[in-house]
Amino acid sequence: MDQTAISINKLNKWYGDFHVLKDIDLQVATGEQVVICGPSGSGKSTLIRCVNRLEAYQDGHIEVMGQEETNLPRLRRQVGMVFQQFNLFPHLTVLRNCTLAMTRALRMDQAEAEETALRMLERVRIREQALKFPTQLSGGQQQRVAIARALCMSPKAMLFDEPTSALDPEMIKEVLDVMADLAQDGMTMICVTHEMGFARQVADRIVFMDAGQVVEVAPPDSFFANPQNLRTRTFLEQIL
Amino acid sequence: MSFSEIFLGILEGLDVTLTVTAFGLLFAIPFALVAGVAQQFLTGWKRAPVTAIIEFWRSTPILVLMFMFYYTLPVAGVYLNATTVAAMTLGLHIGAYGSQSVRAALQALDRGQVEAGLAIGLTRWQVLLTIELPQMAVAMLPTFVNQFIQLVKGTALVALITMTDMTARAKELSQLTFDPPAIYGALMLAYFLLLYPATVLGRHLERVVGRRSGRLNGGRAGDV
Amino acid sequence: MTFDIDFLQRILATIFKAMPLTLLLAFLSCIGASLVGFALETLRRTGRWQGYLLRFVIDALRSTPILVQIYFLYFVLPYYGVVLPGPVIGVLAMSLYYASYLAEVFKAGIDSVPRGQTEAAMAVGLSPLDVTLRVVAPQMLRNIAAPMGNYFVSILKSTPYLAVIGVAEMMGTTLEIASDTFRYAEPMILLGIVFLVLCSIIAWLVRRLEARLMANTRR
Repeated sequence: MDQTAISINKLNKWYGDFHVLKDIDLQVATGEQVVICGPSGSGKSTLIRCVNRLEAYQDGHIEVMGQEETNLPRLRRQVGMVFQQFNLFPHLTVLRNCTLAMTRALRMDQAEAEETALRMLERVRIREQALKFPTQLSGGQQQRVAIARALCMSPKAMLFDEPTSALDPEMIKEVLDVMADLAQDGMTMICVTHEMGFARQVADRIVFMDAGQVVEVAPPDSFFANPQNLRTRTFLEQIL
Repeated sequence: MSFSEIFLGILEGLDVTLTVTAFGLLFAIPFALVAGVAQQFLTGWKRAPVTAIIEFWRSTPILVLMFMFYYTLPVAGVYLNATTVAAMTLGLHIGAYGSQSVRAALQALDRGQVEAGLAIGLTRWQVLLTIELPQMAVAMLPTFVNQFIQLVKGTALVALITMTDMTARAKELSQLTFDPPAIYGALMLAYFLLLYPATVLGRHLERVVGRRSGRLNGGRAGDV
Repeated sequence: MTFDIDFLQRILATIFKAMPLTLLLAFLSCIGASLVGFALETLRRTGRWQGYLLRFVIDALRSTPILVQIYFLYFVLPYYGVVLPGPVIGVLAMSLYYASYLAEVFKAGIDSVPRGQTEAAMAVGLSPLDVTLRVVAPQMLRNIAAPMGNYFVSILKSTPYLAVIGVAEMMGTTLEIASDTFRYAEPMILLGIVFLVLCSIIAWLVRRLEARLMANTRR
């Protein structure tokens, strides 16, 4: 068995009285791609936001690369995140969006950072837009920049929080293609997404969540062909 | 005395008006930034003293503040010249208003910006300096211009603590010649020429920035 | 600064005695400024040239200090034979000055009501007056309550300027004690505290009003 990249153990989280995450257990191996799906409000976004601690949790443990890092910036440099709303910095060029954390957090020098950034932009096929500002790009292009920005920190794993939900249909494919490439290259990934085609093609395992619980975990073939749980079945009937 | 003589006589006070403005900015800008950021970042009881300081400078009339410090500091053994007292009280009064715009601008910024900054491994402090403040700077431009106008107008009060600014010059001239329409007309004209361009600029910026980032402040005024 | 309870009491008594007049002047100025401000903004919208002219008037009022405007009215009107008592000059000056700011608030308020609201109101057959009073104004009020309240506080905080033209409001009467006794520190500090409390109360009332308006008209 590969080394475990992300290990979530007995995770519980409450918003006030509302129990959003209930006893979540999930191990993701290095180089593995996991897709999390489920109805809205099931806690799937909250779960991955706990991994890089954008959300605090009250109970349980999350280990990344075998340890529970308490220095949050250091933790977040190990785990890249891509947001639904891209969240590029509008006051900075595409290139500077990518280099910011390298020069500020990693204290890399500008030239080296730019070289890395351009390599990552190349990887998401958008190098030629490096000097533009985010607002000059289409949604699909912005999201690819966001992926490059996260890759610049050489993360050990990537979290995707519904990366295509805010995109026009014709732009979804370009983003998914980039994500598939990443998977091909062996990046450890957790993706919250409704794109079942992507899940079927890329995921090693699919996690179905409902009402704050992990209901079912299975490889794509059996997940789609033979869902065990009634709730999973109902969900799949609705979206397929 | 002709109108132009009166007008030129009033302009002799322009240097005091501008000096107090310049020193006032030195108080206003840092105070607005620090107090606004502190009020936004601190929580619970730690926020209370910051809020109290802001409210003291904001909710006390500027004339009362100016007299209070002008007459009280010497009693406490602190001797500052009138320029310093004027610049400090005006600057902190305007800065307290500015702090509320700073805070509003921080709140108006998309939450995702902070999260994205944290997610790529920046510290909260780095996020503030490299992501939030630069974006706010643009959104705050109209507020800055509007508060600047308030500050310049506020300098008219230094005439009341023995300084010879443009307003004081007008009072002096009225001892020499009885022509209120010319004297106070010229005084109005002097401030108008000084500030009308800024007013138009502020309005223009509000339109441009407002279109881009939504309304933040609507040119909230002090009491000068 | 010696602690002298009698002196402090005397100051406080003086301040409280002048408080009704101060509040009355501020109150009248709020009404004056709202009416003039609304008139300025409404007239500004009636046509192109009115637009330019009134924009200029509003901007000119905003580009000169209120203290200078008070002096102007106080010294220039009598020159032309118009002799008005100090308090009247004060209310006039504050009304005009703050009208230029409130005009802006009304502008934002009117603009904040979606055009579709007016159209829908007209489409169901309301009269223009009803469109304004029953549909636009209530929605506008919710949006402008906070900025209007802020300006009302500002008006109260501007009343000390009237001391310079001899109005016996709180600042003027407090300065009288100060110059009689040559002690400025205690009177100014106490006056500051009184204003702080008054302004906080008004600001609190405005916030409550705003919260109620929000609750009543939440979409």
